Amino acid sequence: MASVCGRMALRAAARQNVTYTPVRFCKMMNDPMEHATGIEKRELLAKAAGNDNPFDMKVFKRGAGTKENPNLIPSAFDARIVGCICEEDQTYVQWMWLQKGTPKRCECGHWFKLIEKAAV
Amino acid sequence: MSTHSNHPFHLVDYSPWPLTASIGAMTTVAGMVKWFHQYDNSLFLLGNVITILTVYQWWRDVSREGTYQGLHTLSVTTGLRWGMILFILSEVLFFVSFFWAFFHSSLSPSIELGAMWPPLGITPFNPFQIPLLNTVILLTSGITVTWAHHSLMEGNHSQTTQGLFFTVLLGIYFTILQAYEYIEAPFTIADSVYGSTFFMATGFHGLHVLIGTTFLIVCLGRHLNNHFSKNHHFGFEAAAWYWHFVDIVWLFLYVSIYWWGG
Repeated sequence: MASVCGRMALRAAARQNVTYTPVRFCKMMNDPMEHATGIEKRELLAKAAGNDNPFDMKVFKRGAGTKENPNLIPSAFDARIVGCICEEDQTYVQWMWLQKGTPKRCECGHWFKLIEKAAV
Repeated sequence: MSTHSNHPFHLVDYSPWPLTASIGAMTTVAGMVKWFHQYDNSLFLLGNVITILTVYQWWRDVSREGTYQGLHTLSVTTGLRWGMILFILSEVLFFVSFFWAFFHSSLSPSIELGAMWPPLGITPFNPFQIPLLNTVILLTSGITVTWAHHSLMEGNHSQTTQGLFFTVLLGIYFTILQAYEYIEAPFTIADSVYGSTFFMATGFHGLHVLIGTTFLIVCLGRHLNNHFSKNHHFGFEAAAWYWHFVDIVWLFLYVSIYWWGG
């Protein structure tokens, strides 16, 4: 009898669907993406969209780099500084300004061209 | 200006605070010299006022840049992390110098001290009374600050508030007990190298507890104003790192100066 009563009480308690966690009574914080603003938010949105390099900060692996098929350098501005590692084991970087509309040939023969890319 | 850039770095605006901070530090130090030599602490207090006003406004600006202007990208927070790590490292070395002075004097006590440690005539504190309680208080505050941090990472606003509140309360309780010990102390900073090293080390630790408590209070206020999100709250993390550092220094102080050295 006692066990039947016990089972009935347990079932009644289970039906009420009570959650025994204090989190229920807590004020929770908003979504971090909604909380962010400015360039921080634009960076988070770019990363959420699958772009893990929104500011093009990583080293760019050079392609063929011929005059007809130059290395395309993205920039939101009229010019960008490019550093060419002409030889693989070279101990210095060949820095140069690359202007929009004027493809440029590095001393080593590789061509670069600035292409427009919207700012983050 | 810096909100229209297409790079992740924060090029800061011109700010008067480095200049006013330097003036405040200079005034404070000059004020201490005046205080110790002429028994007049007015210049020292003026230096404190200048420094506190600078600190308030400088960090208010950083909070605005991070929270309202969104200038703290991932690269920027990495820089802030390194800054805090290197700052705490420099603080560790600051305390190393006091421990060095303490062990230099206590491991081979000179003939003037009675060739013994604690020196002849010094009555040290019983380490198993208030100092032990203070150890428990700081260890507990380490738990409550971790509670606050995990609540923050879970996005639990209420429990972050509670955890931070109890951490601040324990910090204040520690300070009150240390003040009581200082008032009751049977020796002064002028009583042999024991008093000098004791008050130099515990005094600077107490100052750091005050700064750490202030840092945590600022975090509590910022949290109540919804400045933090569950994955961007470096101000809080820096305060927690600093608080753990203060906690660890106390453990060394307790074991070396209060227990072994008492």
